[in-house]
Amino acid sequence: MKFKKLSAIMLAISMLASLAACGNGDTSSAGGGTSGGGDASQAQTSDNAVTDGDYGGLVALPDAGDPITYTIFVRDPGTAASDDNPVIQKIEELTGVSFEYEYLVGDLDTKLGTMVAGGDYPDVVFSPEGVPQFVESGAAIPLEDKIPQYGNLNAMYNQVMQYLEKEDGHVYTMPIYGYFFNDMTNEPITFECGYGFYIQKAVLEEAGYPEINTVDEYFDLIEAYMEKHPDIDGVKTSGFEILVDGWRNWALLNPPQALMGVGNEGNITVDQETLETSFHQISDVAHDYYLKLNEEYRKGVITPETLTQTYDQYIAKLTSGSVLGFFDQNWNFATGENVLKTDGKYERTYVSVPLLAEGYEGGYIDKATGIPQADNGIIITNNCENVDRLMTYYDWLLQREVQDYLNWGEEGVDWNYNEDKTDKILTAERRAINLDTARLRDETGYQLYNYAPRWLGIYKEDNMPVDPGYSSAEYLAKQSEYDQEFLAGYDMEYPAELHGGAIERLDYYPVWGMTIEDGSPAAVSQQKMLDAETRYYPRLILAADEAEFESIWTEFVNEFNSLDLASYQEEIDRQIAAKMGS
Amino acid sequence: MKNKLKKLAGQKVLYFMIVPCMIYTFIFSYYPLSGWIMAFQKYKPAKGYAGSEFVGFDQFTFLFTDSEFWKAMRNTLAMSLMNLFFGTVLAIIFALLLNELRMQGFKKFTQTASYLPHFLSWIIVTSLVADMLASDGMVNQLLMGLGLTSSPILFLGDAKYFWWVATFANVWKETGWNSIIYIAAIAGIDPTMYEAAELDGAGRFKKMWHVTIPGIKSTIVVLLIMNLGWILNTSFEVPYLLGTGMLQDVSQTIDIFVLKYGMSIGNYSLATAAGIFKSVISLILVFGTNAFANRLGESSLM
Amino acid sequence: MAATIAKRRRKLRPGDVIFRLINGLIMISTIVVMIYPFWNTIAISFNDAQDTLRGGITLFPRVFSTYSYETVFKNDLMLTAAVNSVLRTLISTILGVGVSALIAYVLSRKELIGRRFITAYFLVTMYISAGLIPTYFLMKDLHLLNNFLVYIIPGLVSVFNVIVVKSFMQELPDSLTEAAMVDGAGYFRCFWQIVLPCCKPVLATVALWCAVGAWNQWFDTFLYASSKESLTTLQYEMMKLLSSSMQTGRDESSIFGSDQVTNTVTPASIRSAVTIVASVPILVVYPFLQKYFVKGVTLGAVKG
Repeated sequence: MKFKKLSAIMLAISMLASLAACGNGDTSSAGGGTSGGGDASQAQTSDNAVTDGDYGGLVALPDAGDPITYTIFVRDPGTAASDDNPVIQKIEELTGVSFEYEYLVGDLDTKLGTMVAGGDYPDVVFSPEGVPQFVESGAAIPLEDKIPQYGNLNAMYNQVMQYLEKEDGHVYTMPIYGYFFNDMTNEPITFECGYGFYIQKAVLEEAGYPEINTVDEYFDLIEAYMEKHPDIDGVKTSGFEILVDGWRNWALLNPPQALMGVGNEGNITVDQETLETSFHQISDVAHDYYLKLNEEYRKGVITPETLTQTYDQYIAKLTSGSVLGFFDQNWNFATGENVLKTDGKYERTYVSVPLLAEGYEGGYIDKATGIPQADNGIIITNNCENVDRLMTYYDWLLQREVQDYLNWGEEGVDWNYNEDKTDKILTAERRAINLDTARLRDETGYQLYNYAPRWLGIYKEDNMPVDPGYSSAEYLAKQSEYDQEFLAGYDMEYPAELHGGAIERLDYYPVWGMTIEDGSPAAVSQQKMLDAETRYYPRLILAADEAEFESIWTEFVNEFNSLDLASYQEEIDRQIAAKMGS
Repeated sequence: MKNKLKKLAGQKVLYFMIVPCMIYTFIFSYYPLSGWIMAFQKYKPAKGYAGSEFVGFDQFTFLFTDSEFWKAMRNTLAMSLMNLFFGTVLAIIFALLLNELRMQGFKKFTQTASYLPHFLSWIIVTSLVADMLASDGMVNQLLMGLGLTSSPILFLGDAKYFWWVATFANVWKETGWNSIIYIAAIAGIDPTMYEAAELDGAGRFKKMWHVTIPGIKSTIVVLLIMNLGWILNTSFEVPYLLGTGMLQDVSQTIDIFVLKYGMSIGNYSLATAAGIFKSVISLILVFGTNAFANRLGESSLM
Repeated sequence: MAATIAKRRRKLRPGDVIFRLINGLIMISTIVVMIYPFWNTIAISFNDAQDTLRGGITLFPRVFSTYSYETVFKNDLMLTAAVNSVLRTLISTILGVGVSALIAYVLSRKELIGRRFITAYFLVTMYISAGLIPTYFLMKDLHLLNNFLVYIIPGLVSVFNVIVVKSFMQELPDSLTEAAMVDGAGYFRCFWQIVLPCCKPVLATVALWCAVGAWNQWFDTFLYASSKESLTTLQYEMMKLLSSSMQTGRDESSIFGSDQVTNTVTPASIRSAVTIVASVPILVVYPFLQKYFVKGVTLGAVKG
């Protein structure tokens, strides 16, 4: 079965390759044996490093016959694609370039520390947290003079070079995450809000698809539903879950800030007009929110053990379909929700609702600022022996044909145009591959695309999505019947429309993305703030009555204020000012 | 003097055996200690020892002036001592009881079974413990079934239970494994001692008390002294994995403190300073208790 | 051994019966308490990953699946890893036990000049640690990075084991070696022919510790040999799988939209399969060592 699939893909590739070759007026087939690469290289005239970015699509690079292997370290845990991956094999054949991936195992700081200290690092590193260390030690090589030499890389980074510059005036990174301004693509559409207060679709459906905007309305709906359905499929209904397990603590800490409409900002809240910073942790919004939770606890909507459960227990509870609401990030609970989907319990899946505190505006969806986070990219180290060839390779990868090949595969086999040819849509077979993490890795070009400079969003020239994740047609095609009805109930196309629109954030956004120097007073006080919050918030929620709540609140505010808040605040103020250029 | 030299010459084989091992130990344990210099620096891997800024005792000052550090110290000591006590006592009792089993097959099976939890990772063990202690978990159902409590006890959400929960998890995982050494020690006891005791009319418990325990006493003492030295090093995983934010006051240990303020923000200097502090305390404890044991005429490490 | 037991067999008193009954019960409940988590882990490892998320798996898989194991064994490096793990475990156990016994023997000789100093010299190393980066530099300077010897050499001397063996040796009657010395045997022959054979129970124990320690080690691969695939170990491959399974969902969902990626393995399912795969081989070794614990009794009889 699997073999059949593989050979189908192999066939697809050789067809695609020969198509591309034909287009280039080259009669030799690039598919099949290893000699293909050599033949094709002759068609390519011998212009070397400086390119106009047009290599003629899936046609071999001149030095494809001379294989070279680069090593790359990736800060995420992961698995390298199988050696049999047909797409990666094909690309290797056409370029002569292959990669040895080292994914993170164990603790990242330990790994980075020994790599930098020992000088034992690979050619390419993707680790945003490590960029300052690599730069400081002189391990990262400057790229500002190289990028402009390569047509496609230049098209990608020329508009944002100023944001990539470090204080020493050099550019060391090529960002690969987050949409930013460039010559080729526009910002993608947001289909779903990935963050915020989630509520079970059945609750909204039963209430007749109401619009809800406040925490009170949210809990009113949950209470009403709980009263009517004390059990769901034989499991006791749970009103609202709060996961606090180690680093997964945002369900407890973040809601007050989210209710202020400023998104997932960080440990401080920034006035969007005056840029003044303040601590939402001790604001009235926080007070009222935790008081509300305390009331819900006293009503039995929130159970005390939700605060002590592990991540595994939380996911297990979600998969039972008996949880009505929670605050979370989409990727954190997706594994649980997927089980509900496989069970066909689409009414038990969740949607994010735009709750705001009274008197606040804003929302949950960030409009891309178009400005990259400079460290969120790859660096090339001084251990890399042939930098120019690597840059040529990255440049080659950025060709539209190559990107489409990596992301979509072959037309008719992996994808088709929609009816009016305004969008692309995956075939059922390819969709199944993309749904399976292992097959996606081993049978497609996903991994190669993922850790190299790559386009993100929608191509400007023809409005086609860069990868299936950005395709509206594909998004709608995979919706269940229930979800289609649900969307119709609200008269909307995507769940994100519940939130109105994306909010334009300022250029500095977000605070959590700012690097705070290790061991500095600001870093220490940030940690102390988090500690105080995680210690007091649960006590507030579990207070026996309002009087106890108020006394704990006072205690908390006093302790919080006694911390060295100023050094953290000053550091953030400084960085905001620097980024806002004032 | 001459006598001593002669003795030394007679022992040359012994030195021939030990000196290479001492050189080895010097290279792998003592020589790298030059890295302790980091504790007095604001060490950056990128700059190396030579390039990093010297900050004197700043790292130590940070440790010792922070009230949280002392709280962490208290928690570490409490949990480690509880572990040491219950871990040792239960492992000895288990070894004694196991030794009383007559059916060899059953004995072997029990012993093997008792090691199994040792091979489970802490993540698995703590998640099982969390399941058992949940409000609808085994323990609460048992307590409620027996009428000992009317509503489920929130074991993992209440500070007063936490040290016991941590001790329970440790004991559960390691008792069987820790008993290996006692079982081996018991195996080394001369059977004629039991026969002699029997002739004196000693019963089962008397034999345990007068033969087995004295027979393994040196093992117990030696292990206790050694473990005392590690008292600041134990207890990381359980408090880390089971201690939720609201339990920080009782669950944060020195290692967690260092992880939070040191390693996780790349501050190797702080971690090194804490390491030096722990080393000093450990050595004082070990050599102190060892001298104490010597004075009592007990067997000891040296 | 049979004779010893026969000699000890005598009439059972009622107290004995009660004691044995209670003891048996205690042991049976111990077995249950100890085996359950392991058993539960096996059940989860054979259960469908998505189904496991529903919770409630106790003794048997609900939806049988070997997919977690397939994921574990699909790894191209498994064979290399297994060979390395077995090799490092064997070599470091043999060398580790030998060196521990050697040092212990020397330290157990009361007449040794400078004995207290030498003992303290070793003892101290148990409680001090240079820290991560200095140790890394040492390995680099000794050219042990990406070298199989890094699995063997740095952990050769375990002072804990030395002390355990030493205190066992000190319990041996002095007459044992004195007689041999009088017969003209040197220190080394004494060690090899008389002391070592008497130490079998404790050496078996130490061997078990060494073996389990070496087998479970992954941190040295992570720090010192991760860039050379041919040096990978089983535990390191297991750690890789574990950490990559924890990662699923995070990156992908942000790129493909929430419901695109379904996980056919989950951290919980991979973790349990990995636990079983990684611990069963070492558990199988145990019975071979166990017989020495029992043999200690008969050896003791000869001694008396």
